[in-house]
Amino acid sequence: MLDGMFSGLATALMPFNLLMVVAGCFAGTFIGMLPGLGPISAVALMIPITYTLDPSSGIILMAGVYYGAVFGGSTSSILINAPGCASTLVTTFDGYPLAQKNQAGKALALAAYASFTGGTIGAIILIFTAPALASVSLSFQSADYFALMLLGLTSVAAFSGKGQVIKAMMMTVFGLMIATVGNDVITGAPRYTFGALDLVDGVSFLLLAMATFALAEVMMTIMRGQMHGSEQAMQPVALSSMKLSRDEVKEVAPTIARSSVFGFVVGVLPGAGATIASFLAYGLERNIAPPRLRKMFGKGALRGLAAPESANNAASTGSFVPLLTLGIPGSGTTAIMLGALIAYGIQPGPRLYLDHPDVFWSVIISMYFGNLVLLVLNLPLIPYISRLLAIPPQILNPLIIFFSIIGVYLVSFNTFDIQMMVFITLLAVGLKLLNFPMAPMLLGFILGGMLEKNLSRALVVSDGSFDFLWQRPLTFSIVCITVVILVLPWLFGLVKSRLKATLPAAD
Amino acid sequence: MISLTKDRFGGVLFLLLSLSYGYYAADIPLLPGDKFEPFHAQTLPYWLAGLGSFLALLLIVSKATPSTQETPLSRANVSLMLGLLALTLLFSLSLPWLGFPATTSLFLIASYWLLGERRLKMLVLASVPFALIFWLLLTEVLEVYIAPARILYW
Repeated sequence: MLDGMFSGLATALMPFNLLMVVAGCFAGTFIGMLPGLGPISAVALMIPITYTLDPSSGIILMAGVYYGAVFGGSTSSILINAPGCASTLVTTFDGYPLAQKNQAGKALALAAYASFTGGTIGAIILIFTAPALASVSLSFQSADYFALMLLGLTSVAAFSGKGQVIKAMMMTVFGLMIATVGNDVITGAPRYTFGALDLVDGVSFLLLAMATFALAEVMMTIMRGQMHGSEQAMQPVALSSMKLSRDEVKEVAPTIARSSVFGFVVGVLPGAGATIASFLAYGLERNIAPPRLRKMFGKGALRGLAAPESANNAASTGSFVPLLTLGIPGSGTTAIMLGALIAYGIQPGPRLYLDHPDVFWSVIISMYFGNLVLLVLNLPLIPYISRLLAIPPQILNPLIIFFSIIGVYLVSFNTFDIQMMVFITLLAVGLKLLNFPMAPMLLGFILGGMLEKNLSRALVVSDGSFDFLWQRPLTFSIVCITVVILVLPWLFGLVKSRLKATLPAAD
Repeated sequence: MISLTKDRFGGVLFLLLSLSYGYYAADIPLLPGDKFEPFHAQTLPYWLAGLGSFLALLLIVSKATPSTQETPLSRANVSLMLGLLALTLLFSLSLPWLGFPATTSLFLIASYWLLGERRLKMLVLASVPFALIFWLLLTEVLEVYIAPARILYW
């Protein structure tokens, strides 16, 4: 383990990779600040650039962008009450009221310290848990992998929010359907190509990610009219002192510690991610706060800002655990990273730890550097970075569209891909208008090929019988967890409706 | 009577998609003897078609979730979005013919104009130099080969 760690440290400390962390954090902060564009879009926009880099540098850049985007989202939440992404929505609850009280500098500093601590605690836990989990998962067989992928796909759907479970599952199935387009991975038989040569290799991951996240998000922003009149809203409020008093530090320190550990645990759960972690940490802190402080929540409470900020960063780190050790992404953003790793010819999972220790450890170590960069470089530069928001949206949006399409074109040099991108964007916009979540689709698409391969192997080994699902205790345990996760939302709903029905009668 | 909510409309569309996906699964060619194997190229598509149809039906018959408050979409903004997608399509069609710098400049000028930028100086300065610098960066610095405009050899 130590050898791998040192090799990862050496890789992460290479000047070029350090530059990637810094560049990634800056680019991510800027993109994350733009309302409507979150970490997924930011990471998707980076994919074409990473194709020109070696795997370690590419993933380090993506990790930097990821952290930067989460931090950028917090900045716009605090300064202009416009969360850059869902995971920083909770930051607006107390961050913006603080900014209105002329304490924007303090709010930004607290957000940065909380994010840094959350990320650091997350990275430390990751260093110890990831190798342990990776060594356990070395004993996994195809049946276990199939069960794990099923767990990943169902949990993403199950955690997708009230009234969204069926839709998320439908989108997962849709992603799996798209993954079957092209030549079959096992027999080579063409599927759903309709005679078109451009479809023989299937739909490109990059194209799908860019169309559904980068391009479709910009189109949604334009369609919702968020770009009109936003020039005025984008003018950030004046920053005040960034210093926190000793009492204030004493007040938020336990909150940050609790929320960091809590956020990491939630982040590890496939599908839960930073958004749920930030909401839960905020709720937890509000519930345990003394009545005097509880009243302050929503009006500029320091605890209310520190809790979601440390939780979402720790959860972002936590979501790397299932990606690096099991090859199953814990969130939409890590799903994109999984796709990028596969494009490099690197299969994330238990073998990653053994076959590519440099990639494995350099990603973990650079995460820490990323947090450091955000604190040391980005925080003092926030007033300058936020000025970039003053670029008129009628100029900025076409540039984002251009970068999205040219990123896809420069990989394949095939204009058919741009046409396909337009078609998929139109489809994605339609699905977004019907409130269908996009992340499960991408996850289904990425895991589709692997799921089919492992299912086929498991079925061939068990002679076509499904008893492989309960023959090994490990597979059976994963299947049981999947079923529990699948049934839980319905069970909660049922209990809730029963309670609602009985309560008025009791009154 | 079942009212056609957003969810149900989505459900009906997905049902149609799943059914046609399942219908075309029969067109997937199989190797000799594959039919007797427990898993072949048609297996997963059939399962997905079945699962997709089941979930779509579940969404259609399930109780409609209260719709969240959303800002209504104006016709002008929808046209704007469609206009930009049309420009993107035009970009892809003209790229091989007009070449990278000219197509990019025209695409950016048209997009800025469509989104409301009317200052001629801004339209030109934010597009032509950008396209040229980006093209030079790709071809000269990164040494990426970008095919010249076909129109030059016509």
